[in-house]
Amino acid sequence: MDQRNFTYMFYGFAAAWVILAAYVLTLVARERRLAGQVESLKRMLEDREKK
Amino acid sequence: MRFLRQTASIAAKDLRSELRTKDSLNAAGSFALVIIVLFSFMLDPTETQTVYELSGGLLWLVFAFAGALILNRSFARELPNDCLDMLVASPVSSSALFLGKATANFTLLLVVELVCLPVFGGMYNLSRWSTHLGPLLGVVVLGTWGVTVIGTMFSAITVNLRLRELMLPILVYPIMIPCLMAAMKLSTVLISGEAITGDDWIWLRLLIGFDIIFTSLSLLTVDFVLVS
Amino acid sequence: MREKILYVLGVAATLLLVRNLYVIFITLPDEQDQGAIYRIMFFHIPAWFVCFTAYFLAGVTSVLYLVKKQFKYDVFSVSAVEVGLAFTLIGLATGSIWARIIWGIWWTWDARLTWAFITCLLYAAYLMMRNMMDDASTRARFAAVVCTFAFTSVAITFKAIEWWRTQHPGPVLSLPGRSAGGTMDPEMEAALRLNYLALFVIAGVLIAVRMNQEKRLREVESLRRQVHAM
Repeated sequence: MDQRNFTYMFYGFAAAWVILAAYVLTLVARERRLAGQVESLKRMLEDREKK
Repeated sequence: MRFLRQTASIAAKDLRSELRTKDSLNAAGSFALVIIVLFSFMLDPTETQTVYELSGGLLWLVFAFAGALILNRSFARELPNDCLDMLVASPVSSSALFLGKATANFTLLLVVELVCLPVFGGMYNLSRWSTHLGPLLGVVVLGTWGVTVIGTMFSAITVNLRLRELMLPILVYPIMIPCLMAAMKLSTVLISGEAITGDDWIWLRLLIGFDIIFTSLSLLTVDFVLVS
Repeated sequence: MREKILYVLGVAATLLLVRNLYVIFITLPDEQDQGAIYRIMFFHIPAWFVCFTAYFLAGVTSVLYLVKKQFKYDVFSVSAVEVGLAFTLIGLATGSIWARIIWGIWWTWDARLTWAFITCLLYAAYLMMRNMMDDASTRARFAAVVCTFAFTSVAITFKAIEWWRTQHPGPVLSLPGRSAGGTMDPEMEAALRLNYLALFVIAGVLIAVRMNQEKRLREVESLRRQVHAM
């Protein structure tokens, strides 16, 4: 019982950290995607202005 | 007074156009009957006691599913020819428009329910279902109002979405749960032929309370949803 | 500059969280009834409070958006909901693991858990709905209305342990103005409060980061319109 108690406590903390980390990672991924989009859109605008 | 007249005319308009085609009524009615048939495979229809215990839940699932069909059409039917824009631009206030639509949906769903109720009672041999007919109808009316007032509100919101048929159930069922839950509990008690006593009063209070809360919340926010 | 402050705050809060882990695991003893597993509460309770606060603030800013029609309120409310949803998942996951040991089951349909789950579904639907709308001002308006409705579910979740007899335990913290609760050991409560602080700061930083992204998203949308217009 005590052993299982301890394992599950570990699972609980791991779950909390993993979810938090996963969310931070999605934020980072979105940041990258947005930066890329802004970049490409700006380039597209400049290209068209030149024409 | 003018507000009530506007509400009534919107409701009358919706009901009239529904009665001419009977699209929603037919679809919702036959869908409800199909689900009632499906339930007979899920449980053993000869075990009447079990059916009694599940009756409220089963019935309100039928009503909620059938209701979604009616609610989906409610605002979507105004989309061709830009009728919705015209309605919003007309001198009818948005809360009257909303209440009129909600009343029409309420009436339609109630008709479907009043057909389903005896069919359900008869087909599953629930001989006691009508012993407390008055209170049962009261619960049905209160529950249906809660379902339609929330449903009409979210129908107005989702009508502009790309995937409106998908989004309405996802949004509307979780919000409806308080009403559905209370109506399920009360219906189970009443269909089993017992009166509402003791602990069950809290469900009635909850049902009435949520009807009031959601009606007023809808009336407060509808101005932001129905704008041109 | 603002971003730097945010990152420093985030790192500081994470360090505090790690330091708290030391206190929680090493300094504090096992609880007499529950043994080691009770330590989950150091994440479980603050996570739920963070998400309640986030949803509450999202509700308030949604109403403010409807009244004042300023986009900053919409930006805040979507960010708060998204971060709140992450913390809701933490709350559900830790709670479920805790329940497996204490109640012997992963899940039970009592009022508190049911409503927490409904709330989670509702706010997920809110985020889904936002993705389906292209026009920024309609999106903000409708999202604000949905968010106001969704808050009723948060209120029920919060009050469920008082309204119904639930398997989920009642209040344990000694909050000002609350007669129930206050049964926790002061040393444990102090550690809990520190974890609160850390998680609140982390949530705040995440919300701020998410708000920047929402603004960036608007920038992308307006650039797209410009490109189309040319």
